[in-house]
Amino acid sequence: MTSPTSSNEELVYAPAVIILSSDLYPRKLEIVREYIQNASDAIDSFAAIADVLEDTSELQIKISIQGRSLLIFDNGIGMNEEDVSKLRRIAYSEKKAGEEAGYKGIGKLAGIAVADKLKISSTSYGDPKLHHFEFRAKDMREEISQKKKQGVIEHASDAIIRHTTLWSTDIDRAAHYTLVEVRGIAESCPELLDANRLREYIGDIAPVDFSPDFKWGARLSQHLRQNVPDYSPKTVYLSKQNGERIRIYKPYDDSMTISEPEYIEVHDKENLNKTLALCWYATKGQEILGQIRPAGWIFSVDGDSDDPRDKKRFAGLAYKLFGFSVGDRSLAVRTLWGQSGPRALWFTGEIHIIDKDVLPTTDRSDFIENEARERLYRAGERIPIKLNKLAQEISNNRNAYRDGERFSEKLQTWNERLKAGKIERSELKSIRDHLNRGLTTLQRRTDNCNDQDIKQYDKGIQQFATKFQKDLEQAKQFKGDNGIADVANELSMPTKARKVFTIIMQTLESHFSDDPDTYHELASKISKVLRNKY
Amino acid sequence: MSQQHEAVFDTNPNKDFLRSEYDYSHVERWFKKCGKRLNYIGLPAWKMLDIISWEKFLNRFTTIERKEDEQHLMFLQANVRDVEHRLYSLYGDFDEILRSGRDENGKSPQWPYEVVNLDYFGGFIYQDLARPRAIKKLVSNQGDHQHSFLFIITQHLRDADLKGAKAAFLDDFRGGLKSATVETATRNAIDRTMDWYSDPNNPDSARQTLYMNTFLRETGESEHFDVACRPGVLYSGTGNASMIHFVTDFTFRAGTAHKIYSKQSLLELVDLGTAEVKDGRITKSVAKAPRLSDV
Repeated sequence: MTSPTSSNEELVYAPAVIILSSDLYPRKLEIVREYIQNASDAIDSFAAIADVLEDTSELQIKISIQGRSLLIFDNGIGMNEEDVSKLRRIAYSEKKAGEEAGYKGIGKLAGIAVADKLKISSTSYGDPKLHHFEFRAKDMREEISQKKKQGVIEHASDAIIRHTTLWSTDIDRAAHYTLVEVRGIAESCPELLDANRLREYIGDIAPVDFSPDFKWGARLSQHLRQNVPDYSPKTVYLSKQNGERIRIYKPYDDSMTISEPEYIEVHDKENLNKTLALCWYATKGQEILGQIRPAGWIFSVDGDSDDPRDKKRFAGLAYKLFGFSVGDRSLAVRTLWGQSGPRALWFTGEIHIIDKDVLPTTDRSDFIENEARERLYRAGERIPIKLNKLAQEISNNRNAYRDGERFSEKLQTWNERLKAGKIERSELKSIRDHLNRGLTTLQRRTDNCNDQDIKQYDKGIQQFATKFQKDLEQAKQFKGDNGIADVANELSMPTKARKVFTIIMQTLESHFSDDPDTYHELASKISKVLRNKY
Repeated sequence: MSQQHEAVFDTNPNKDFLRSEYDYSHVERWFKKCGKRLNYIGLPAWKMLDIISWEKFLNRFTTIERKEDEQHLMFLQANVRDVEHRLYSLYGDFDEILRSGRDENGKSPQWPYEVVNLDYFGGFIYQDLARPRAIKKLVSNQGDHQHSFLFIITQHLRDADLKGAKAAFLDDFRGGLKSATVETATRNAIDRTMDWYSDPNNPDSARQTLYMNTFLRETGESEHFDVACRPGVLYSGTGNASMIHFVTDFTFRAGTAHKIYSKQSLLELVDLGTAEVKDGRITKSVAKAPRLSDV
């Protein structure tokens, strides 16, 4: 953490401010995360004293868009005059690493990379003043660029002081809130003014709760509250352009057909009593035998675009620290699965890090390389081991069901044809072969399957197949039993030819007397050839 | 920064009364008439006192603000009051937004509206004719949507605003009234009344009421609205500024080829006179022109 001494500030030159703020957020939506992170910390801080103040107001974060402004409001602890004045210092923060979501002190100014102005108004409980801060970012960018051309490089603090204003107005002492307005957002960043994009992004990365439209949500939420000490989902609202205000939840809902989630506790290998992280995971589900069961393919959802990557955007596990995502879903694949990652994408879920010595990098794209991170990665090996094994089981179960279903369809058709007397004697060999192969395959699938319902389902099919096998053996009459005479009549064979044909066929029948199915198969083929020829 | 803006638009007991009693009752009446929450467009200043007072009758509110700091405070107020999702804030000059159809961010008003509240700083004819033109455009837009609305406007009562224009208006108005009748008694009554209006010793609020109501009536009728005017309400605003306030119903009448004629007659309009807010209630002004509708 940078100390708030002026000597430290003097090390930062004005152009660095622009570079710092623009390069830090290659994905512009991350700017929103910075402000939500600050708002979330402010809410946590106020929640800690709300009881003492007997303040029962619902703590919330509200996001709205007005014109080319993005607004982030929270009714958390707010800032006093000193806090607001510190906004002029780049990379200064009193937040403590491991205690709050943000701690780098850059986030509050994140908006200057994409907007003409940054306007912040804030007051804290008991403060009779509402403090205002304005950062004229566009003016500063233009001036710095101009000066750079002239070869003039000045200290960041000089430029910032010139392009910022602080002032205060009177306010009710009981008020406590912060409003950030990122004003005049550049046209190159439309995503910051797109309510739908914001909704999904915030739902995916912010500490929000599970949707009531997700059947497993309440159970997951309860489990995380009980087992992740800092799990405290925030109430985040988003105003849409049509005047509707929606509460933002995590992106999971029942339309995604998600199978029942499960958990993995990640313990320190050297101290098994110490839980480093808690992972919840679920797979894409499919309705099988009246229940949503793991489908066994990459986790995909409906997407607005045709890009298949869009459909797979929730595939994989997301690291969460203080409820906020660290990196995207590829981070867990890279750090835990390494090269053999495809099966990781069968799952969606989150890894909530409990060990607060694990720290995110400034841009939150990864973790800082330290002992805690290595400890987490070592212990986290459990996750791919378990999930890969589970993926194999899911694959086995899926195959057991799929093969059973296909075999069952065939059996139904044969059974109906047998009852209707529509099975030809010539087909018997092929049907018997299929039956035997099907039964063997299904037995193998059933042996590998650990889903009792599917096992039971397959056993039912096997029993049905055995019964059909008996019925087939006991059947006396098949379609086309008079095949030789029929062909001779149909082709109007002369007497001599008819006799020769009959002799040949009788000889074949006699030859295959131990294997009549083969004879009938052969006879059928001969009949077909003769019919085609004559 | 905004201390001076706050002072200008800060409220006072008279304005509070108008907003929370007089206007409130009219907005409530329109809410009942429409049977749904009303869409609002106006110039409410950052505190949005009118919107907050009428909130239960309103659906969405389009506000127009030309000062950046004020707009920021308006966003803050909307969030604090928990109505930010219903706020649609345009940035720029009202007259210019009406003229061009877009604000400085390229956003357009969401026509049509059921409540229009223009709380102007300055007189009606302020520097140029931009305000009358903007109001004509507003009424025209509402007419395009065939949409009835309640129109509320507040302005400074400034003698200078109408000096030349008002004299010419009164002459034209007298001529127009007299040309509609050949009866000597009526023509004499018109002269008596219009002489009263032209007399500089009589209050300017009466002249401004006649001028404003006539303007609203003509503007509305040419866009197929039946216009029901009310007395201009005079009150002492912040810093003892003389303010005048109008509440007018614009009811769209479909099916007419050209301009329509309001149910309220022109003579009734002339007789409306003015009212005044004092000590938390509205009283009819003592200074009154001789009545025309009794003739």
